[in-house]
Amino acid sequence: MKKLFRNKLTVFGAGIILFLLIVAIFAPQISRYDPTYIDIKEALLRPSAEHLLGTDSLGRDLFSRMVYAARIALLIGFVAVGLAAVIGVILGSVAGYFGGKIDSLIMRFADIMLCFPRFFLILAVIAVVGPNIFNVMIIIGLTGWMGMARLIRAEILSLKIRDYVSASRALGASDVFIITRHLIPNGIGPVLVSFVFGVAGAILTEAGLSFLGLGVQPPNPSWGNILMEGKAVLGVAWWVILFPGLAILITVLAFNLVGEGLRDSLNPKQG
Amino acid sequence: MRNPTRSLQSNIQKIPLFFIIAVFFLLYLTTPSANGDRSSPDTILPDERPVPAEPVYGDAFVVGQIGDARTLVPILASDSPSSYIVALVFNGLLKYDKNVELIGDLAESWTIEDDGLSIVFFLRRNVKWHDGHPFTAKDVEFTYKSIIDPNVPTPYSGDFKMIKTLAVIDDYTVKITYKEPFAPGLTSWGMPIMPKHILEGQDLLTTDFARNPIGTGPYKFKRWKTGERIDLVSNHEYFRHRPYIDRYIYRVIPDTATMFLELKTGGIDEMGLTPLQFTRQTDTAFFKKRFQKFKYPSFGYTFLAYNLKDEKFMDKNVRQALNYAVDKNEIIDGVLLGQGRVCTGQFVPESWAFNKDVKPWPYDPKKAKVMLKESGWQDTDRDGWLDKNGKIFEFTILTNQGNETRRQTAEIMQRRLRDIGVKVNIRILEWSVFLNEFVNKKRFEAIILGWGLGREPDCFDIFHSSKTKEGEFNFISYSNSEIDRLLIEGRRTFDREKRKEIYNRIHEILYTDQPYMFLYIPDSLVAVDSRFQGIEVSPIGIGYNFIDWWVPKARQRYRY
Repeated sequence: MKKLFRNKLTVFGAGIILFLLIVAIFAPQISRYDPTYIDIKEALLRPSAEHLLGTDSLGRDLFSRMVYAARIALLIGFVAVGLAAVIGVILGSVAGYFGGKIDSLIMRFADIMLCFPRFFLILAVIAVVGPNIFNVMIIIGLTGWMGMARLIRAEILSLKIRDYVSASRALGASDVFIITRHLIPNGIGPVLVSFVFGVAGAILTEAGLSFLGLGVQPPNPSWGNILMEGKAVLGVAWWVILFPGLAILITVLAFNLVGEGLRDSLNPKQG
Repeated sequence: MRNPTRSLQSNIQKIPLFFIIAVFFLLYLTTPSANGDRSSPDTILPDERPVPAEPVYGDAFVVGQIGDARTLVPILASDSPSSYIVALVFNGLLKYDKNVELIGDLAESWTIEDDGLSIVFFLRRNVKWHDGHPFTAKDVEFTYKSIIDPNVPTPYSGDFKMIKTLAVIDDYTVKITYKEPFAPGLTSWGMPIMPKHILEGQDLLTTDFARNPIGTGPYKFKRWKTGERIDLVSNHEYFRHRPYIDRYIYRVIPDTATMFLELKTGGIDEMGLTPLQFTRQTDTAFFKKRFQKFKYPSFGYTFLAYNLKDEKFMDKNVRQALNYAVDKNEIIDGVLLGQGRVCTGQFVPESWAFNKDVKPWPYDPKKAKVMLKESGWQDTDRDGWLDKNGKIFEFTILTNQGNETRRQTAEIMQRRLRDIGVKVNIRILEWSVFLNEFVNKKRFEAIILGWGLGREPDCFDIFHSSKTKEGEFNFISYSNSEIDRLLIEGRRTFDREKRKEIYNRIHEILYTDQPYMFLYIPDSLVAVDSRFQGIEVSPIGIGYNFIDWWVPKARQRYRY
């Protein structure tokens, strides 16, 4: 932990994430306007004291929309990757612990899943089931567990032959007990790192989908769909495209910095 | 080029005058469809440059459009991108001239006989198909037979089913006799004529002609890269004269912002501008020097169509209530930035069928709520949404991609309906998927779409209860016996005054019945590269004289 926070960039990233979390949680208190309130007379106003980040082409307050979009981005990021992590950890640890046929079966399945280009797979599935926040979360989750499963399996392969595991087994501990009490807690480190990077990826994927009109649907704001709307008014209203672009950039950067820091601090080979 | 009929339109367009009576259109900008009476278009021509007198050949014209064509079989082309290409490759027997009067195209002249029951067309003798085969009356007969073939899902069959006999008198004379007096008869022969020698015995749905057409028009088909571009080359043998512009390139750019950048960098020569581009991005000195801007009223309108098979929308009271809840002026001011007018029904103010007594529906959300309550929709569980029998009032609006105006319209409607407790979802779909899978198959609750109309007010194909088969234009399954009767009467009547009464009545009934929520009539806003000379503006826009457009040698951009 101490090592983690020695790195200034990591602290910086963590600070931004903390800030985003606060913004997301207190979105209704922070935003001064209803993010879906349309007032045509107020369309495309420049940033001002009244509208901190200006307004979009339907006269909605961009600041409020950005704040609510942060909420949606983080929600999708954490839930989707959380789902991926749960699936990944379960399948990975089962594969690693039991080995043999079960291992082959699970890991070959993971390999098959990895063969699909992920973004296109998501696009195809969304096109079938229909776009909405819930579907986007689930699909990003269901297509993102393979890396984590591999990581935890590798950890468990080396952990399960340790003496304390043998000792535990000799004392009559069940497989489930060993996996959940000994193996997972000790092998979770890399998954944690992967989780943080995963959130960055999921936020980016959601923005990409929404940009294409296949993610968060109107009237709900998302950085991706604000960006899409901004494209149409590019050249007239720079603020509509600049702010969501920056938000995506900074958020993804923050998660990557933290992930980086976490990885370094968990790597025993580094001082 | 261009066939006088109706076709469902879908685009940003301008050029060919679709004769076709109705086309689905994609963008607010519509082709100057065959129509319009007066309305002097407001043209902004670039300053400078003395116009050299003598037209020369050469160069290419590259047009940007947001949607790709679906089929180039003329009688199946019911959307504006397809009709757009068809209008350049094929000819009808008749077309509209600059003053929107019917003139001969493939027909040299015609006479009306038997008290209006028959038309005799005398065809041009020097016309050849693009493959060199001569055009004859047999092709007209073949086209007619294909349209009325029950196995061919064409939305245009209505007009042709009224024909009792079509007699080929000799190679260049055709006599058409109607079962009963049929007013839109003449106009319907703007339908593009197809080559018998190629298509005979082929299944029009699967033929490769759909992607490799042979016509008689000013441009020959060269190649089609799906979703990307369609290339046409000028027909040197064209019966009027060889078009001056050598190539016609139709580029699909599914996004208006990207298209605008392409226009500014010279990638395309013409596009329909969005209201935002027209009002705020084209007043620079650079733009005025490089482009000519045109603005004219379009002969089409944008609407929200309800699926009338859906229980929620069967109730007229509900449809009227929804109409009270949406402020059309808000959409026109906010989305069209004033570049359009409120639509009150099937006919636009330029049409003689337009009923001046039909006043725009007021915006009154309170009344909307009261009316919905009368129909049993109330918020019984206080969750903010109206409900009835435990189900909340929720529906999805579908519309096509690339049309910012329609998306924004949908968002405004979503918000305004939310104000009265109706939940709306929006789904944006790619143009051909939207038409093929959702509109034609009637898999929708509500859609935002547009009609590009002809000058002939007959709208039998759109509102008659018999026109509800897949691919036909009454995709909302509208059925109203009085409308059915009036539509038939309107087609039987020749007297303009009597017809006017009938269509005025149709206008009125449709407005109170609200099978569509009529939204707005967008203005056509077009930018064309300034190197093109000879552009004439008519009440129906530009493009009707495309074969006379030309570029001075020094300014030609492409060489072939």
